[in-house]
Amino acid sequence: MQKEMLSINHAAVDYPAFRERLKKQLGSFPWWLAALAAIAAGTFWLISTRESYNDAFTFIKAGLSVTITTTLIAYGISIIIGLVTSLGRISNNLILRNLATLYVEIIRGIPMMVLIFFIALVGVPAVMNLLKELGQWITSLGWVNAGNALISLKNDAIPMNTRAIVALAVTYGAFSAEIFRAGIQSIGKGQMEAARSQGMSYGQAMRYVILPQAIRNVLPALGNDFVSMLKDTSLVSVLAVRDITQIARLYAGRSFHYQEAYINLAVLYLSMTVILSFAVKFLEKRLQRDELN
Amino acid sequence: MNSTEPIIKLQNVSKYFGRVCALKDVSLDVEPGKVVVIIGPSGSGKSTLLRCINHLEVESAGEVWVEGEHLNGNQKHLNSVRSGIGMVFQHFNLYPHLTALQNITLAQRIVRKIPQAQAEENARVQLKRVGIEHKADVYPGQLSGGQQQRVAIARALAMNPKIMLFDEPTSALDPEMIKEVLEVMLNLAKEGITMVVVTHEMGFARAAADEVVFMDAGQIIEKAAPEAFFNEPSNERTREFLSQILER
Ligand SMILES: Nc1ncnc2c1ncn2[C@@H]1O[C@H](COP(=O)(O)OP(=O)(O)OP(=O)(O)O)[C@@H](O)[C@H]1O
Ligand SMILES: [Mg+2]
Repeated sequence: MQKEMLSINHAAVDYPAFRERLKKQLGSFPWWLAALAAIAAGTFWLISTRESYNDAFTFIKAGLSVTITTTLIAYGISIIIGLVTSLGRISNNLILRNLATLYVEIIRGIPMMVLIFFIALVGVPAVMNLLKELGQWITSLGWVNAGNALISLKNDAIPMNTRAIVALAVTYGAFSAEIFRAGIQSIGKGQMEAARSQGMSYGQAMRYVILPQAIRNVLPALGNDFVSMLKDTSLVSVLAVRDITQIARLYAGRSFHYQEAYINLAVLYLSMTVILSFAVKFLEKRLQRDELN
Repeated sequence: MNSTEPIIKLQNVSKYFGRVCALKDVSLDVEPGKVVVIIGPSGSGKSTLLRCINHLEVESAGEVWVEGEHLNGNQKHLNSVRSGIGMVFQHFNLYPHLTALQNITLAQRIVRKIPQAQAEENARVQLKRVGIEHKADVYPGQLSGGQQQRVAIARALAMNPKIMLFDEPTSALDPEMIKEVLEVMLNLAKEGITMVVVTHEMGFARAAADEVVFMDAGQIIEKAAPEAFFNEPSNERTREFLSQILER
């Protein structure tokens, strides 16, 4: 093969070179992506041609809004928790630092499913009870109206959807705290020193010098977390929150069309995560390009 | 404060990092408008001494006075004192996410509360002072080392400091860029800003210093006007060190 290739190299049509190029192109082509697209297309074809698939899809997609809003809100809150916790983790204050570390270690040491049960069914009611006791105390101080407002709170006034969001946010807050911390610690010490030497307070230096750089560095990691969060919202189905997973389970249990229900469900998640992953990669490339300037 | 009173006064300052003694009972007075050059071998405590002056390091023992004020732990006071002391670092430490101009306006705005427009105007004046007004809107990553260091000097000058501290400002620069930075520093020296400069540029020391200080092992070994210091160093270790760096 090699010899042949060399010998015809100066021929009018450069077949061997063409073959090599083709081989290279075929080798670097994202076949997996084509396969994914084929799976999506196949599912779409099933939905549009088979009534049982169509039924399942129509039923399940009603849960999309819950899945998406849960993801967005829980993610937004988790980012705030994460940022605050990361600042605690690197703080010089002994108490803050230990509280933040305790929180992160607790979350990391417990399976997510257990955390979701615990936070939604134990944590939230406990906080509610605490608020009620606070209400009693406030009433005894004389602020009867404010106190009564707190006392009249009911545990079941907090819907499962909200509890699910709290559970996910608290769980993911610990993850993003670690991301932010890594980002902050990746910024050289010289930055903080330069800022402090100009008379900025620690907080000002963080806000105007360190965090803008740190957050930029961790944007891709935060994006990946968002994709994970989208998938992990499926866990809230254990709280009977009607996300796509819960609805698919209901549908399958009722109709015994397991295949239809779970193919639809799986492809739905897959489409969303693949698209988001591409968005994250695109963002990463953009940032890298900006970096070079 | 009368003018012969020192603007910087270190009194028996010691600094320990764990068991390492970085400064041992150091006393130093710097009068307003004077230029003090500090030299000494690596690890002798030069940086630590500078950093004690603006309390980036807190001394383990002894006292630091700046403009007649004793620096204690009060953060607000400390921040305001620091804002009047410019510091220039070996590795520039510009804020890479901000343009040259923004690097210079940031502290003016948030520390001094100067309005944006005025801060920018001042920033351009400072950039001109260091000879790179045309690079105002460029990010540090696009500047040469010498240009970055000059932006860093402009950033410090924009706070209108009475004192400028330089920690080996030319050590990270390619030889052809050292001159442009030293020129800026020489001009500052002529303008009468109090300067404490850690450097191994003996030419600069001869030309600009009012006093040269030699440090070794956390202590000030010798201190003299440049003439005397270079021509007839009295201490054996100073002679040894000078012969080493002048050989190069
Ligand atoms: N943050 C720190 N933690 C621990 N040890 C330190 C710290 N900073 C400085 N030291 C030690 O203190 C001593 C003096 O350091 P310093 O940086 O002041 O020396 P220097 O004269 O500036 O040296 P160089 O010429 O290498 O910059 C050294 O032994 C150094 O290892
Ligand atoms: Mg040093």
